[in-house]
Parts: sequence; C-alpha cells; structure tokens
Amino acid sequence: MPMNRYADMEDKLRILEDLNMMYIRQIALSLQDSNIQKKIDHEIRMRDGACKLLAACSQRDQALEASKSLLTCNIRIMAYMSELQRMKEAQVMQRVALRSSDAGPTDDRLPCKGKVAISDLRIPLMWKDTEYFKNKGELHRCAVFCLLQVGAEIHDTDMVIVDRTLTDICFDNTIVFSEASPGFELRVEMYSCCSEEDYSTGSTSRKLASKLSSSLGRSAGKKLRVAMDPGACSPISNGGGATLLLPLPTVVGPKYHLLAHTTLSLSHVQDSFRTHDLSISGNEECSHWVPLYGNVCCRLAAQPHCMTQQMMSGCLKVKFGGDPQSWTNVYGVLKGTNLFCYHRQEDVEANIEPAFTISINKKTRIRASEKDRHNKAQSICISNHYGGEEVTHTLSADSREDTHRWMEAFWQQFYDMSQWKQCCDDLMKIELPSPRKPTLVTSKQGSLYHEMVIDTSDDISTVTDILARRMEELELRSQLGTSPPWMSLFEESPGCPRTHNRLPHSPLRCPRPGLLSSEASLTSDSDSPCSTSPCSRYSGWAEPLSLSSPSSHFRPRTLSLDAKLSTLRGRGYGGVLQCSCQPPSSSSLAPIPAQCVPQATLSCSSSTSSNSSSEGSHSPELSDGTPFSRPSSARQSLRNLRAKLDPRNWLQSQV
Amino acid sequence: MSFIPGQPVTAVVQRIEIRKLRQGEHLILGFSIGGGIDQDPGQNPFSEDKSDKGIYVTRVTPEGPAEVAGLMMGDKVMQVNGWDMTMVTHDQARKRLTKKNEDVVRLLVTRKSLEQAVKHSMM
Repeated sequence: MPMNRYADMEDKLRILEDLNMMYIRQIALSLQDSNIQKKIDHEIRMRDGACKLLAACSQRDQALEASKSLLTCNIRIMAYMSELQRMKEAQVMQRVALRSSDAGPTDDRLPCKGKVAISDLRIPLMWKDTEYFKNKGELHRCAVFCLLQVGAEIHDTDMVIVDRTLTDICFDNTIVFSEASPGFELRVEMYSCCSEEDYSTGSTSRKLASKLSSSLGRSAGKKLRVAMDPGACSPISNGGGATLLLPLPTVVGPKYHLLAHTTLSLSHVQDSFRTHDLSISGNEECSHWVPLYGNVCCRLAAQPHCMTQQMMSGCLKVKFGGDPQSWTNVYGVLKGTNLFCYHRQEDVEANIEPAFTISINKKTRIRASEKDRHNKAQSICISNHYGGEEVTHTLSADSREDTHRWMEAFWQQFYDMSQWKQCCDDLMKIELPSPRKPTLVTSKQGSLYHEMVIDTSDDISTVTDILARRMEELELRSQLGTSPPWMSLFEESPGCPRTHNRLPHSPLRCPRPGLLSSEASLTSDSDSPCSTSPCSRYSGWAEPLSLSSPSSHFRPRTLSLDAKLSTLRGRGYGGVLQCSCQPPSSSSLAPIPAQCVPQATLSCSSSTSSNSSSEGSHSPELSDGTPFSRPSSARQSLRNLRAKLDPRNWLQSQV
Repeated sequence: MSFIPGQPVTAVVQRIEIRKLRQGEHLILGFSIGGGIDQDPGQNPFSEDKSDKGIYVTRVTPEGPAEVAGLMMGDKVMQVNGWDMTMVTHDQARKRLTKKNEDVVRLLVTRKSLEQAVKHSMM
C-alpha cells in the first residue's frame, strides 16, 4: 500500500524537521543570538508563501517572480544555517582555546568594517547574427536575475526579461552591504530561466497537483538531504544531516538555473566602472541559455568605517615643529585620513571649521617620543611631508592612558588603511538606494531598428503607387527620349543628357511650399549647406517646385500624393518615419525627364517621406535650391541622425 | 573599377580641377557624392561592381563649378587633393571635399568611358 508508506514517510520527515528546528533554536539560544533565528523563521515563512503563490498563480510573470523569491529564500536559509553553524563552531573553538594553555591572548588586531556597494550591473550579450536577423515569430526569451552574497547577507536584483532585442542585461539596483570586512568576498550569481515553456500541468487539478508535488517532494527531498549530508560538520548526528530544512518540494513552475557566477573582492574595488570575467556554467543546449559575452561590468565601491566615522576623539595639546613653548589646546577628532583639531569640543557638532588639520595617511609617520622634560607624559610625534618639506606636530594628551589610547587609535587607523588599501585614498561615493520607486515599465526594450515603424495602413497603396508611377515614368522617359543617368557614362559630350525643355509649371506648385518646407530635409549634409542661395544664382539648378513635368502627367497620382503628404504632416514627426508616398524618383535614379537636373526635383518630395523606405532606396538629400527655411534644428538633427544610422539608406551628400 | 582583393587597383583616371564657388559663407562644389565603406554598396546605381564601396558622383548641378570642370555623373572619385577616396567612409569623403581653407579641389576620377577610350586608342 504505497500511500501508507508515503504517509509514514511524511510523518517521519515532519518529525525530523521539527527536531531540526529545535536544534537550530538551541544553537541560536546557546549563541545568545536570536537575530539569525528570527531571520530563518522569516525566510521560512516567505518560502511557504512563495510556494503557495507559485502553485496558485496562472500568469507567467507572476510565476517567474514567485519562483525567483523561492530560490532566493532557499539560498538565504542555507546561508543563515551555515552562518549559524560557523558561529557555533567558532564559539566551541574559542572555548577550547581558552581552556588549553595557550600563550596568552593573541594580539589580533581586527580591521574595521565597512560598507560595500555594488551598482550598475551590466552584462553584455553576444547574439549570433543569425539569431538577430532571423524572422522567427517567437522571440526566445529568458528571465534573468542576479544574487549578490557577502557572507550570510544575500540580496537579489530585479528580474529582467531578456530577448534578442537586448544588447546588454542591465540591473539598475544599487545594493549595499553594511558590515563587510576588508577580506570580503562578494559572490555574484546569475540565474536564468526560460520563459516560454508551458510548465503548468493543465490537466491535473490544482489541489491534487500541489499535494502530489509536495508529498512526493518530501521524500525526494529526503533523498537529496541524505545525498548532501555535510558529514562531519554537524555536532549532532541525526541520521539525516544537519540541515533538514533543505529545499524543497519540487514545485511545478518555472525553475531557475545558475548561468554564470563570479567572485569580487577588495582588489576589484574602484571608484569607477570595471569589467570582470564571468564563469559561465551551461551551454547552448540548455533551455535557460542566454548568450553571454563573458563579462560583467559594475561599479564596486567601498567605504570603510575608518573613513566615515570618528575613530577617536579627545582633548589634546599640540605643538608645531620644534618650538618648545607653543602648546595649543585643541579637541582632536580622528576621522578618515585626517586628524581634525577644533578649538572646542562644541565646534564639532556645530560644524565649524577645525582650527587646523593634520593628515594621517599612508605616508605619515608617528612615533612616541621620550619623556619631555617639561611634561611627565609621553608625547606623540606626527611627521608628514608637505611638498618636500617635513612637518612635525607633537601631540600630548592629559594622561598616560590617554596617550596610550591615542597611539592605539593611530595604530588601528594605520592597520585599517593597510587592510582596506585603495579604499582609504579617497572617500568613495555610495548612493543609497532610494525607497522603492515604482518601476517604470518601458513599453518595449527595443533596439534602434525596432523604433522605425512603417505604417502598415499605407503599405499596399504605397507599393502600388510606386510601381505605377515607375511604370508611367519609364514610359514618359522613353517618350521624351532621354536616357537614364547612367547612360551618361558612355557618352562623350557632357552636355548631352540635359534637355532644356521645361514643361510649364503646374498649378500644383502653389500648395507645395508649405508642405515641403516642413518636411524638407533628411539629408546627411551639414557642412556645406548650399540650400538657399544657389537657387537664385543658377537658373539651371533644380527648381524645387517643378514637380511640374511629371506632375502634370501624373496628375491623378500626385493628387493622392498631395493628400498623403498632408496626412503625413498632420501625423507629426514623432519618432515615426512614414514610408508612404514615395514618389517615383526613388530619389536620384529616376530622373524627371526634361528636367535639367534629373534628380533634384522629385527628391524634394521624396524628402518628405521617410528615408527608411521599404524599397531601401537612396536617402533623400537636401534638395538644392529649396528656398524654404529649414525645420527646427532639433527635429532636423534627429532626422539626420536617423537617416545616417539606418543602414538601408545609401547616403548622398551635397558638396 | 572593381577591385580584386590583394591586387593593386589600377584605373584610368582623369584629373579634374574644381574651383569652389563662394556662396555667402559656404564654399560649394556643385555635385553630390554617394557611397563609402560604411554604406551599402548594393544600392549604388553607378557602380559596375556592386561590391564597390568607393565614392561616386551621383549628381552634378548644371552649370556649377563641378560641371564646368568636367565632372560627370557616375564618376568614381579616386583621390581628392592627394587624399585617397577609395577606402573612406561617407563622412570622411564629404569632409575631404568640403575643407573650408581650400579653394580648389583636384580630383582624380575614373569612369568606364575613359577605360574604353584608352582601349580603343591602343587597338
């Protein structure tokens, strides 16, 4: 009867778990540290909540978040457990050491602790170009987050959904670890989970599924526990190993896997961004794979307490140089790399400038001098090099004990500085994470190319328009007997293609200026804008408005062109470049027959539409001879930039 | 006009000297260029070899300084004042042509008709 066995198992496991919890509590009690105990309890509650949420939720995003909290809780519990173990062991070892006849207390100087902050994590990705440009319907997406651990303190970043439109994974969180020793090891772990599969068991009823999973899980969990028995570490052998509160019932839901990790320490601390290598576990075959470049960039800063807090303060008498008589009474405060000497103690709180400051840095030398003839107590000599000169201050405290304490403080300061190394050169800035702002949901983490929208409503008509115009234009050209521009390559005389017959201006000319002025330029040229003046000078140069010849022929088309242009204008310039109403010219190539300069004219109107036309034709250039004022420079520069950056354009510049 | 990678490029060129025209505070040459190593060469209508990323003259303003000097549409610009133009970006090319302190640009251009003319004359 298998169910009985499971029930049995469950009972046993429950008992063992309770025993374990008792054991944990005992340890905590003996250590007189209820802090970790509370934390463990808290995490257990969170874990239960996450399990329930995971079982109950239906949406993928919720499931991902719940799974993430579950993983985080588990890891935290493990960390606290091991911390507890460690503390217990340390205590035991200490007792042992005290009992044994050791040679007195070892003079272990402990360095001060400090704040370590990691921020602006950025992990570059390396998509294969096949991955990027292929047009599969579904984007392969992964949910990614990072765990940062120093000792038993574990913080998680927000979760980011990664797909092939991202070039980097950025985590905006700033994470501060308040009490870190200089020998800290910050472990950065990146977890990922594929966010596409259907992992919910749809058929089975929810309750049954969760019950099955949890009950099966316990036995499976027990197996895991046995397998992961830490062995000799546990003082109490309870058959199953020390930490029975292991994760977990295998819950149905998205599961995160470790994708990459790295460890940062004091040598990586710097007041700027640095790149570090990642060790990647996993390969392309895994479902949770994200193509990492192999680095992580971040800013790791540290503020040791010796730089931010007052390490020592008290009344002192200071003498400058070798002058034997000029003792000044000050209130000294040792903080960071300076000994601030204030006139009075009250000045410190009042934020008044100190009377003078003696720097205490790596190059300072401090020694206790022999008994001064005038004073009974020892004095302390501090020597610094200020620009090549050696400056000495002599300090004297009121009593011997005070002197001793000051020396102690100085030694501690030096020790701290030697331990924290580069962090003590200058105070590094750490921005405290502000209280949780509501996360701005960006509509789409898109790339530049995704921003260029081609208005679908215009597509079909555009294409047919273009085709029709092209055909008609070819006919027209053959009628008038001019050759396509490239024919001029084979011609001897340069003047040939220029026929000077100009058709009368069409009445359509009039409404143009307004439109074109606003839509005019999308060219790359900025250096030699020849726009306005040549028009007047060179009659031969294109008159911008003589859409004359073709337009007269194309009248019905251009009416629609007109309409389209006006709708375009109404739609504004926002980030959307329309590809509609691409006039037949596809700028330069299709000349207006009977125009002196083939390309110039229709390129004007072509410049109204976007350069990112679907045909990938040439980008429009600044129509020379436009007598109109340019549109506002900001808009124009944005469009110029867009034109320049779109690889589908073949840029032309006027020189 | 196409090139074989690894082989030196040879071409029959014509020397064209263009005097810039002053238009207010601008110096203009009167033609437009297209192409460049950062551009898509497949869209160049004038190049024979569609992988040629050179700088081509796409338009010559009638009766402008360039036309007067003999520049023709479709020419490939090989050098400008001694600077190579066969391996430049579009922007670099534009800058080389539009230097404010230069009044004259001396181009070396090539076109298919030149090659053919030379061939005919040698036969």
